[in-house]
Amino acid sequence: MATTALSSFTRGVARYALVAALAAVFALFAALAPGFLSGANLLSVLVNNFALLAIVAIAMTFAVSAGGIDLSVGTAVDFASFAFVSLVLAGQPIALAALGGLAGGALVGVFNAVLIAGIGISPFLATLGTLFVGRSAQQLLTNGGNPVYLPPAGVPEAFRFLGHGTVAGIPVPLLVTALVVAGAWLVLSHTRFGRVTLAAGIQASVVRYSGLRLSRITALTYVLVSTIAAVVGLILTSTVTVYIPSSGNAFLLNAIGATFIGTTFDPHGRPNVPGTVLGVLLLGVVANGLLLSGLNFYWQQVGTGLLIFSVLAIGFANRKAAARA
Amino acid sequence: MADTAGRGAAIVRLENIVKRFGGAEALSGASLTVERGSVHGLVGQNGAGKSTLIKLIAGLHRADEGTVEIDGKVYDRLTPHLAEELGIHFIHQDRLLVPTFTVGEALFLGRELRFPGTPFLDRAAMRRRSAEILERYFGLALPHSALIADLSAAEKQIVQITRALIASPKVLVFDEPTAALVRREADLLFQLIRRLSAEGVTILYISHYLGEIVDLCDTVTVLRNGRDVATLPVAGTSAAEIGALMVNRDIGELYPKPDVAPGEVVLEVENLALAGRFDAVSFTLRRGEVLGLTGLVGSGAKEVVRTLFGLDRPTGGTVSVKGEAVFSADPAAATDRRLALVPEDRRRDGVALDLSVTENTTLASLGRFSRGLIDRGAERRQTEDLVKRLQIKTDGVDALVKTLSGGNQQKVAIAKWLSRQSEIYLLDEPTVGVDIAAKVEIYRLIGELAERGAAVLVLSSDIEELLGVTDRLLVFFRGRVTRQFISSETSPDQVLADVTGAYETLRHAG
Repeated sequence: MATTALSSFTRGVARYALVAALAAVFALFAALAPGFLSGANLLSVLVNNFALLAIVAIAMTFAVSAGGIDLSVGTAVDFASFAFVSLVLAGQPIALAALGGLAGGALVGVFNAVLIAGIGISPFLATLGTLFVGRSAQQLLTNGGNPVYLPPAGVPEAFRFLGHGTVAGIPVPLLVTALVVAGAWLVLSHTRFGRVTLAAGIQASVVRYSGLRLSRITALTYVLVSTIAAVVGLILTSTVTVYIPSSGNAFLLNAIGATFIGTTFDPHGRPNVPGTVLGVLLLGVVANGLLLSGLNFYWQQVGTGLLIFSVLAIGFANRKAAARA
Repeated sequence: MADTAGRGAAIVRLENIVKRFGGAEALSGASLTVERGSVHGLVGQNGAGKSTLIKLIAGLHRADEGTVEIDGKVYDRLTPHLAEELGIHFIHQDRLLVPTFTVGEALFLGRELRFPGTPFLDRAAMRRRSAEILERYFGLALPHSALIADLSAAEKQIVQITRALIASPKVLVFDEPTAALVRREADLLFQLIRRLSAEGVTILYISHYLGEIVDLCDTVTVLRNGRDVATLPVAGTSAAEIGALMVNRDIGELYPKPDVAPGEVVLEVENLALAGRFDAVSFTLRRGEVLGLTGLVGSGAKEVVRTLFGLDRPTGGTVSVKGEAVFSADPAAATDRRLALVPEDRRRDGVALDLSVTENTTLASLGRFSRGLIDRGAERRQTEDLVKRLQIKTDGVDALVKTLSGGNQQKVAIAKWLSRQSEIYLLDEPTVGVDIAAKVEIYRLIGELAERGAAVLVLSSDIEELLGVTDRLLVFFRGRVTRQFISSETSPDQVLADVTGAYETLRHAG
């Protein structure tokens, strides 16, 4: 009896190490960083440090669930942004331009899908290749990497809506993020596709021997990853009204970090949407708090790194303890 | 085997041993007599008392009642040291070896050779002695200074055996020695055991692989529930008979084959061929029928099963399922036609170890449980039903499959297809690596599948098992079906002759 209680307790600890870490850094900055607790700052954390990264990290969560990784999520962000801006400049209606943007991002996923599911290249190498090819392609498209600006006068109000609009007082980027998070959670944990993706990530051969079309599922996963990332390209472009080549790669490392931090939230260490969201929040709060504390940028990076280490270590150690119990 | 002086007299004799741990009786009146120069097998299910009995001989436990007699002398206070002095040595895969020691240190631990009359170690002498034994028995050299931790399982075992041989043993006790070995290494071990036996060393061999016992031993003692239930000469018995004694069932019960009248043909294979693998394979399979396939590795039997499930694309011939020809080499299409494959490599292809019992059970049939979203309640109820029906021993349906025993993992692999409502079951070595009790349950399950109108194809290299569970048997040799048997009208020896090609050779010679 006692051992059962103990092991469920340690499992509980493993599960909530992430929540505890989040509460701890929140309390720490509330006490130390001036202005951290103000409403304006907290909203800025959500809009600037959370929303866009959360969407990219959710995309990454699908790739990691499938047992792979997608290093080209930033490329999908960029391609979506480029297609969106180009179509608006060409005078297309905003809605059509946005769809075109999503398609531009999805194209990156199709490319990955061919490499990974079609040819059988490992996801790491395939998407690394896509990252390089994508960077060069953007430089070729923009005469060596010049930003593409929308003339301030010519920007329709509808264009700015995604980045700057509000609905019932809530910023649109946050609403979109909430929708993506909710949708991704449903798909990953409550649909056939999500379950099979997870199974493919855990033991691909069993999926094949169960009569499921493994390569189709893998292909679909990478197209989905890029399409989700493309949403960020739209919001980003709408916010800053410019396309800057290869700017999407800024999300890559944090997205990977948040996804793996998030795995500590699952009792079996699987990638999961709620965990990823908590991971993004943790990274966002730390970045904002360290900034307000007046630490320079490089120390912020050190702090973030240390945090990733400690959450992963606690989660791993607790899971091991639970497995022994 | 050479006739050795004193052969036939008991070298180890345990009589009416009772051993209790707390309130539980591990042994309740077990006796064992090992004759000098014999190769004596000891078998029993987990918990039958094998290891307790061995530990008594090793001096690690002391009997509460009964006597331990070695070489005609009764010992009340046997210690591990005394047992070694009496010439009894133990080979156990994970005992005795300190991983951070070198081979040389491990070989002579506790009985290092010294320069006569000094406390100083004679390393050169030790090196010579071990090299001599390694060369003589294994025909190989192990680096004296290699770390134990860096050796393979087989090499560690060689070190253990060498360590025992250095002491010129009278009795060698092998405790599940092949558990960590691949087939080829196990064959080498068997050769060595035969050679040691020929040199007059008495062997006590414990294994749950009954085939090994039958191949290797002269005599076998079966333990069940802390008692010896039989000691038999191996000539004149069979693995099935020994297995039946272990689980206390008749052979008929060991293979609980129900009588099912076959229904319509559901699988028809005509002239199926896969270049370089098999050719001109034709057979039919009916509802309620259990068909056996057997053959050596490379005989084509396994490749036929893979091809039927769409894992390989045939180069000729046709396969029809329920009268409809199948053209695509695609497991997804095969499962849609209600085919199911339980693959041989269970832990790689059969079950996902890090998914739960539920997630594994419904993996091939998620469509039944989802309309957009998965109905987790329905999924769980289905799994609970199957866990109950197949008597899967698990810590709940949410437990990860890696926490289950081999036999129960195999049942989950079968449950996956029951949930898919499959009708044609292809079972590839379904009882490999599961204990005898789970084997019987899998046999029962095969019978039950047939009773419920499924068609079952069993591929196995265990001929006795095949004859016990199947109606008909096809023997593959070099890519062709060389012989068909009605299972109830033939014997393992007859089948074996065909499996190894003796029949073919005779026919061509004649």
